[in-house]
Amino acid sequence: MPLLSLMRVSKYDGRATVHGDRDESELDESELDESELHESELEKELRRAAAHFDPVPRELLQAAANAFDWRAIDAELAELVFDSLVDHDELALVRGPLDRRLLSFHAGGMTIDLEVTSTSTSCGLVGQLVPPQQASVEIRTGTDVITVEADELGRFSAGPVPKGPLSLRCAAARAGPGTAVVTEWVPI
Amino acid sequence: MTDKDVGDLVRAAVLGDRASWDALVQRYSGLVWSVTRGYRIGSADAADVFQTTWLRLAEHLDRIDKPGQLGAWLATTARHEALRVARGATRTVPSDEETLVALGQVDDYSPEQAVLDAEQARLNSDRAARLWHAFGQLPARCRELLRILIASPPPSYAEVAAAVGMPVGSIGPTRARCLRRLRERLAGEVSDAATVAHESE
Repeated sequence: MPLLSLMRVSKYDGRATVHGDRDESELDESELDESELHESELEKELRRAAAHFDPVPRELLQAAANAFDWRAIDAELAELVFDSLVDHDELALVRGPLDRRLLSFHAGGMTIDLEVTSTSTSCGLVGQLVPPQQASVEIRTGTDVITVEADELGRFSAGPVPKGPLSLRCAAARAGPGTAVVTEWVPI
Repeated sequence: MTDKDVGDLVRAAVLGDRASWDALVQRYSGLVWSVTRGYRIGSADAADVFQTTWLRLAEHLDRIDKPGQLGAWLATTARHEALRVARGATRTVPSDEETLVALGQVDDYSPEQAVLDAEQARLNSDRAARLWHAFGQLPARCRELLRILIASPPPSYAEVAAAVGMPVGSIGPTRARCLRRLRERLAGEVSDAATVAHESE
């Protein structure tokens, strides 16, 4: 009887299934869900209000989807090891009409020091590669790429760069392919 | 979506499967957005934090310890970045921006404002606006927690705990206390409703 067996399958797949030892874990999970997610009418109402008054902006959903294209699979990831904004370096933090911020990224054999000078709408960048070396530096903003060259002393600069997410990809001039370094994303 | 489903999507995305990435964006955008909006940072900064969080995920995709618990990873990352931006306060936040958003008068994100306006007519708009206004008046801690609890789809307690940096055990009592305050505020604001309506004209 094909129909009966079909019904049986669908019954077993449903959450309402109560008998049989195979459902032990599923029952545990549903009990947990119930205690975790049981909510009042007020919360449900508030969720509808939030979806109405403060939805995820459509262009940001698109930006999140596009983030996938910014993976740098061939590059080594340089982690953010210093940020004057959170690491309290009083010398680094100069308050005034221009905000100055120091960032430092590190991966394997390379350190990238970056000074970010902000106005209300954009930023200027001055960077230093350690050890000093000539390199091609891609300044990645999440929407665009600006390429600049670091000189033989490892110095580079760029600007104005739009405010927002920032990541650098550095490929040393004398190194072979597959040795590029890419920094973690930081909003500037 | 179970932890295993989420883990499978992460593993497929690592291998370059865009559809899996898009599914993760669909599933967790509401949570990430609610974390950025829970903190009192300006709308441009909130957008930066949101975008940075997803760019960080793309970069760290193959380094996530527990792919099944991606929601908690995203919530932690978004919180961390929101706090960093709040610290920098690199942008000037118009002092009335939060209030206006809370009242639903300004929705600078929404390209489909016209659609929303039409939809609003169908809603019980007075009640919804009053509720949203009362929510905006809650103490910061309550707003942060409730904003995340009411993300769409509803997050798990583990995700909420990661998003607010609070142990799972203390979420329940805090949530109950905050909802009680919201009810009180709503009940006490019947007389304020006339003022709100007046201001929105």
